[in-house]
Amino acid sequence: MSALPFHRRHATRLAMRYLVALILVVIFVFPVYWLFIISFKTPDEIFAFPPVWYPNSIQFANYAVLFKDGDAATVGNSLILASVSTFFAMILGTIAAYSLVRFKTGGENLAVWIISQRMMPPVAIVFPLFLLYVWMGWVDTYFGLILLYTAFSLPYVIWMMRGYIEDIPLELEESALVDGCTRWEVLWKVVLPMARSGLFATAVFTFIFAWNDFLFALVLTRTEVTTYTVQVTHYFGGQSNFWAKIAAMSVLGTIPVFFTVAIMQRYLVRGISMGAVKG
Amino acid sequence: MPAIAAHHQPDRNFKYWIIAPAVFLLLLIGLFPLIYSLVVSFMRIDMMDTDTSFAGLYNYKQLFKDSRLWWSLAHTLLITVIALPLELVLGLAMAYLFLEKLPSRQIFISLLVLPTIISPIVAGATWRLLFDNKYGPINQIISWIAGQRVDALWTINPSLVYPAIIFCEIWQWTPFMFLILLAALSNVDKSQTEAAEIDGASFIRTFRYVVLPAIWPVMAIAILIRGLDLFRIFDIIWALTQGGPGTKTETISIYAYVQGFKQFETSYTAAIAFLVIFLLTVVCTWAIRRMGLVK
Amino acid sequence: MVTRRDVGKIGIAAGIAGTAGLAPRAAYAADGAATAVEAAKQYAGQTITIVWEAGLQSLDPLNFSGPKWKELTGIDVKVVEVPVAEMFTKIMQDFKSGAGAYDALNVIPSWMPDLANAGALEDLDPFVDKYGYRDELMKIASTYRDNQMKVNGKIYGLPDDGDVFVMYYRTDVLNDPAIQKAYKDKYGADMPVPPTNWKDFDQVGQVITEAGGGKLYGAAFFREPGYGNFMFQERFRNEGGKFFDADTMKATINSDAGVKVFTDWVAENKWAPAGVEQWGFVENLAAFLQGQTAMTISWPPYGRWAASYGTDQEVMSWVPKSTIAGKVGYAMTPGGHPELAAGFCLSVSSTSKNKEAAYLFIQWLNSEATSLERVKLPYALRDPFRDSHFTDAGYAALWPEAKDYLKALQDGANNGLLDLSLLQTDKYEEVLRQSVSKLWAGDDPKAILDAAAAEWDAITEKIGVDKQKAVYADWASKSGAYPKM
Repeated sequence: MSALPFHRRHATRLAMRYLVALILVVIFVFPVYWLFIISFKTPDEIFAFPPVWYPNSIQFANYAVLFKDGDAATVGNSLILASVSTFFAMILGTIAAYSLVRFKTGGENLAVWIISQRMMPPVAIVFPLFLLYVWMGWVDTYFGLILLYTAFSLPYVIWMMRGYIEDIPLELEESALVDGCTRWEVLWKVVLPMARSGLFATAVFTFIFAWNDFLFALVLTRTEVTTYTVQVTHYFGGQSNFWAKIAAMSVLGTIPVFFTVAIMQRYLVRGISMGAVKG
Repeated sequence: MPAIAAHHQPDRNFKYWIIAPAVFLLLLIGLFPLIYSLVVSFMRIDMMDTDTSFAGLYNYKQLFKDSRLWWSLAHTLLITVIALPLELVLGLAMAYLFLEKLPSRQIFISLLVLPTIISPIVAGATWRLLFDNKYGPINQIISWIAGQRVDALWTINPSLVYPAIIFCEIWQWTPFMFLILLAALSNVDKSQTEAAEIDGASFIRTFRYVVLPAIWPVMAIAILIRGLDLFRIFDIIWALTQGGPGTKTETISIYAYVQGFKQFETSYTAAIAFLVIFLLTVVCTWAIRRMGLVK
Repeated sequence: MVTRRDVGKIGIAAGIAGTAGLAPRAAYAADGAATAVEAAKQYAGQTITIVWEAGLQSLDPLNFSGPKWKELTGIDVKVVEVPVAEMFTKIMQDFKSGAGAYDALNVIPSWMPDLANAGALEDLDPFVDKYGYRDELMKIASTYRDNQMKVNGKIYGLPDDGDVFVMYYRTDVLNDPAIQKAYKDKYGADMPVPPTNWKDFDQVGQVITEAGGGKLYGAAFFREPGYGNFMFQERFRNEGGKFFDADTMKATINSDAGVKVFTDWVAENKWAPAGVEQWGFVENLAAFLQGQTAMTISWPPYGRWAASYGTDQEVMSWVPKSTIAGKVGYAMTPGGHPELAAGFCLSVSSTSKNKEAAYLFIQWLNSEATSLERVKLPYALRDPFRDSHFTDAGYAALWPEAKDYLKALQDGANNGLLDLSLLQTDKYEEVLRQSVSKLWAGDDPKAILDAAAAEWDAITEKIGVDKQKAVYADWASKSGAYPKM
């Protein structure tokens, strides 16, 4: 190899890297592909042996039945719960983070306590929470779930936003104050615009956390606010695994996140790494 | 809010006003359940009885006799210690692969992120479809390679069920590690690594003494986040095996759910919750200090 | 109590129901369906929520009874699909939460005591009397009526599903002279067709697999833990096993009978199709319908689909096409006492905010007229459970062997074994499910069952030995608890 001229060696290396990358992409994308095509398969194709690798025709019957029976509404529930809770978590979390950064409210202890809430395993609190919700009559209500997801996202939002707000030059805020802005106006007109990209990135992840939740929804929803993650598991077991329904429901529940991520992509990598760096 | 009226001086209560709602919510959702379950864990409440008499340490003593509980902790640990290093190493290797220029790099990266944004419960369901003995593609592919029909019962056979869970886990979360580490590697000062290479340092040495210290803060956080997530793993296993065969893949989260919501052992579940919180606090404190995240 | 005015109403209602496609001979003294429809109209515009087993079972309320009820009464039916393993949990959770999210429920009879004792179910006696349904209710086949309706003397559920295991066998294969000769050569005796005990069954199965050349197997079974639980309960008792020592209330599932069942299962897997350990309803069905297995044991729907009854409908398109129509025989499961596995009752949730409408819906579902339509739905999984279903001329004419089929179901009902039903039954069953699962993981049968018995004892102890003993004694005194030897 060393005998090869530099650019040839370089080219070979690039080709090798490209090949490996391609293989990796195939491995990581194949399961998603499989999920999608099952949702388009006819029952005959799903229960074919050996498996059918690509459907002969794209048909939407598996989706149609989800809409007909109202199962698809669970995606709507997830959408409401995730977006409303993200909205509140972003507002409450950002102003709380601002308080922590600018005024050192509660000192390091409060900040550490808040972050430690993120470490709490859901399973440790889901049971007492269920009893609390029973007592308050919040089971199976939008309010209850939104409250929960908001609270659960807060440590993350505060943690992330703390990093972004620290980056904002203090002088900007001070000059705004001198200009006669109230504290609220400073927050609204200076801090939020400056932290915009951080806000977006954090919001996307907050949305995904709430969207992906299964355990809380499993325990705290019944019929009215069932999320799509719970609905998917309703097709397991019984006389059969309704593979077509599992796949179609999964795809329905995955598409909104795909779009969110696609639109917000430029903020994401930065969001992930920033949060980590600043933590 | 009257506080805003005070214009020029920063209002003294402003900082409390803006943090109060968040703290209140965290107390309600985070702290209340803890106190409540602490109280309940000393009672005798179960499905049929709401016996609130004081049971002393009965439930806590039961914990020590409960081999299923300790096995579930062992399973959790097993999954964590296998999956976490694999995700880390694979993620790092992938990050290096994509660090330099590569045609259609951005598209590749976008595609590789797909698994991470899928809901874990869906990831589990997807792999269940993939692993199916008859209608799934994995056994089909293995059969082609082996040249004969292979019946591998991925969700039943005790020697295959952990690989199945860990495949799924790695598939979903390696891209997360990859993204974080790619970002961290991109921020490493190129002149230093180049200088080390010119000095004739091997790749390993360069990584150990130049790159690793630079990316460690990020990497440590990523390890911590994934470690915590792995410790509470629930969704993927719920979809793949529900803890089976038998209780062989029951993790602590699955076990606590079974006790709390299938057996309705209210008081005992509260005791389990406390054990989990205690263990986690100890381990996290140790890990955070050990990794140098807090000086 | 039916007053004269009511009778008039019922007459009108029956007329309406008749035109709407209900059984035209609505000549019952008090037609439960018509009464329910008439009384329910005052709730038009409301919605009732019913818990139903996820999957196939739910096709009945989703595609047939729900829309029809809406058309007749203006009441919307919302179906909550829950996997069977989660149903008890969900119902109990809803009751504990007091949310009242569910109005009507599908309840597996063996859970009924627990749910009723906990207060989750509504006592239905007042409703039954109010709407004059008692006579019609009593016409449910005696096995189901006497064992699956009451707790502590009160009605908590309307038995609504004639679930019983049936042995299906391929008449063409078992009567094949070549196979019969192979059997005789190997065992020196005539091949029993169909086999009536497990020893014969296993011998026949093995011979067929050997002759099948990898294309045809002697038999396949439900092996996944959920259904394995029922299969174990059936076979264990047919082998002479008893669940408990009636005096000490110590679990005796680790007796020789239990170990024999588990050991035989493992041995059978060797000549059953590869991967059978994982098989549930669909896998087993597919193999049988595609002609890959010669014998199997399952619930009644297999028989209908094997005969290609209704499988041309669109909702049934997932069922593999039957290649064996006309070649299927029906028999008692080996040992002669099939499990009355699972089954369903219709109940009303005690936390429902609309109990009256919920009750009327389940009465309508359960009535002679509606239930006959429901058990004939090709895609549904509700099986004949009324005497009138077994003798229905229309049903017997649905396919050539339908008459034999109904006879097998009726015999099964009469000889069947009840699922174990105690306080906190689900805990005991969970141990059995775990045990089945461990068996496929390769553990030793005796060790598994010893551990299971120990777990049962621990559960019993926790509940209270004397309390549970009384409940068990009551259960064991029922005619379907153990085979009459």
